[in-house]
Amino acid sequence: MLTLKNASKTYGNNKKAVDQLNLEIEKGEIIGFIGPNGAGKTTTIRMITGIIAPTEGTIEINGKDIAKQPVEAKKNFTFVPDHPTIFDAIKGIDYLNFIADMHEVTIQQRKERIEKYTKAFQIYDALPQTINSYSHGMKQKLLISGALLPNPNLFILDEPMVGLDPHSAKILKDVMREHCEKGGTVFFSSHVLEVVENLCDRVAIIHRGKLIACDTAENIKKNSSATLEEIFLEMTKDE
Amino acid sequence: MNKFLSLTKILVLDFFSKYTQQLNVKNKYLTILVMFLPALLIFPAAQMVLELYNTFLTLGFPELTITYMYIANTILMIFASIPFIISVFFYSKDLQLIATLPVKEATIVFSKLASVYIYLLIISCFFFGTSVVLYSTVGGLKLSSLNVGIIALIISPLLPMIISAIIILPFMSVIGSGKRRNLMVVVGNMLLLVAIIVMQMLSSRIQLRPEELNTILLQEDGLLMMVGRRFPPSIWLTKMIQGSIFHGFLFIGLNVVLVLILKACAKILYSKALMKFNQEGAPVQGGKIYYKSRNKGLQMIKRHIKIIVSNPIFLINTVLTIFLPILMFIIILFTGEFQAELFKSTALEPYHVYIFSAIITTPAIIGSLSSTAITREGKTFWETKVLPVSDRDNIKYRIYTTLIIQLVASLILGIMTLLTIPVNVQTVLIAAVFCITSTLFFSNIDIVINIEKPLLNWSTPTAAVKNNLNILLALLLRLIVGVFGYGLYKLIDHWEANIVILIFSGLFIMLYFISIWIVYGIYKDKFIDIVP
Repeated sequence: MLTLKNASKTYGNNKKAVDQLNLEIEKGEIIGFIGPNGAGKTTTIRMITGIIAPTEGTIEINGKDIAKQPVEAKKNFTFVPDHPTIFDAIKGIDYLNFIADMHEVTIQQRKERIEKYTKAFQIYDALPQTINSYSHGMKQKLLISGALLPNPNLFILDEPMVGLDPHSAKILKDVMREHCEKGGTVFFSSHVLEVVENLCDRVAIIHRGKLIACDTAENIKKNSSATLEEIFLEMTKDE
Repeated sequence: MNKFLSLTKILVLDFFSKYTQQLNVKNKYLTILVMFLPALLIFPAAQMVLELYNTFLTLGFPELTITYMYIANTILMIFASIPFIISVFFYSKDLQLIATLPVKEATIVFSKLASVYIYLLIISCFFFGTSVVLYSTVGGLKLSSLNVGIIALIISPLLPMIISAIIILPFMSVIGSGKRRNLMVVVGNMLLLVAIIVMQMLSSRIQLRPEELNTILLQEDGLLMMVGRRFPPSIWLTKMIQGSIFHGFLFIGLNVVLVLILKACAKILYSKALMKFNQEGAPVQGGKIYYKSRNKGLQMIKRHIKIIVSNPIFLINTVLTIFLPILMFIIILFTGEFQAELFKSTALEPYHVYIFSAIITTPAIIGSLSSTAITREGKTFWETKVLPVSDRDNIKYRIYTTLIIQLVASLILGIMTLLTIPVNVQTVLIAAVFCITSTLFFSNIDIVINIEKPLLNWSTPTAAVKNNLNILLALLLRLIVGVFGYGLYKLIDHWEANIVILIFSGLFIMLYFISIWIVYGIYKDKFIDIVP
């Protein structure tokens, strides 16, 4: 579903934010993407979503190269950024209809899914209101509902738990699991290692722009009694 | 560093950063040079002032150049400062930080006005500054006049800025407290601007009886007294530059008094206006949940139009830059300033096509909406980047939005003009061709400026649509096109007007096709590289 081949990103000051990253994610998987601050998580996600172009390497989503066939590739995923910065002068329902139109979701499907997700996240009644009256958490829930609306093949989230109350975080985890059970794929970054350990099929660890591990949590822990947090701290410890 | 200086430094640096960000010039001296490129606009301003100076010189009163330019400059600065003050005080993203700082209310008010002052001073340099320099240097250097004139130039933004602040701050707290406050802010401010224009027009009309006029003109400085009688500071300023210490005392004293009044009111303005407005919050709007499918392109255009309409500063700026000619036109009609009979004269008939073309093309010339099409989105720009819309379409719908707004403005302006100026169908059609071709070209090529310098991290809406390098570059582009156009016109001005306009339309069509190649051929890749 998602293939990164030698993906690298070098910024103007010759700093390699992401260095020769190789990653293969299969259909139906939930992958947790973890790493210390400044490790290259957000840069990688921005490259995958086409927000920035990789300096080297290729990124394919469902066989479509994000650089060469951006529209076809973008039809396969939706994205929730780490901060709910969206155009907020419109109503919540306007935003969802906008996303639905862009992803060509039928009226029947959008009605079903909007009701399903916004009721689950308890923002349904707020949909006729302008987004600028929403709290940070409500905006985050709206973004997540909008991203789930097209029922994407690949659901990409950058720090999705930030700003969510425990109830909504639980719903999001359930939705992510349900999405994978139905054949979808989830790729998300997080600093909450407990969530990653319990929810993900595999964990990818990035440190200083390089992928240093990508395996199941059990394999990364090498069947030791240590927690993922302890292993992560050990692996990303600065010499 | 003193708290006031420290806060002012940060706010002013933020203001100037919008001109220097995205310059992509590593050499700092080159950066300064690039920044001064728009200063080339001083040449047409100087030309205009020189014409005025020569006119007054033949009458024997060259000092009236200063009087006239100061009056015009003050009005211009009031116009410019109103949206700027609203943006800096009411829609700035820094208030949450500044409000928590341990500084006095007056410090915040004056620090915020510092960037407004600099902006107005730049405007003042173009018009009032050139009049001071010309008056003091043409026909021999008058050093004392030049020195005093420079002092007057530095002081000149204070009066319009403080008057605008004292009017606007309480005004906004009143109109911004009700439902639909954004709409109220736009409508309220438009009405305020109309009121200022009407007052200015009514006060500037000479309604003296001939004998009164003769009495005034027979007095020493009679003409100066007549010109500046509705705005005495212009008389004091002129006489100050001529060497009168008494009038200098009056002019500087007035500005000092205004500063003291603002300082005395600062606490009230801060708590009753600034904080009150920002604490009101947007009212929650009711409505229905609907499920409606729309075409992708329409949705994108709707989004771009909403971005302008939903932000009062964007809307006021768009209305002012595009619809101001319409506004002026309506006001002129209602105040009786405009003599429609003038255009019915047969002497002017051959020029109808020029006049009509110029009027309806004003929105494309003044309003460079495409040059801020990406910037207006700010940090929400990422939204359309991750959608399954091609980069070509992503650019195209932004250009279409500009086209729609500008052509609607041209249409309204055209209808209003037709009601007043008798033009035939042929003239209308030829002018329409010119208007459409030039609008197509400018709306296309302007987006190149924004792709080159996207500027997405603005802190005040004014920084997004007004005080940034893109706007200056768009103006520079128009200046260059204007200079070439004028040169070409001089070569063919003996030809029939309709033919000349059609030739220019043909040139704009060619430029439009070249601009398509530039935008989608060269700049599409740069658009892809814009990092939100």
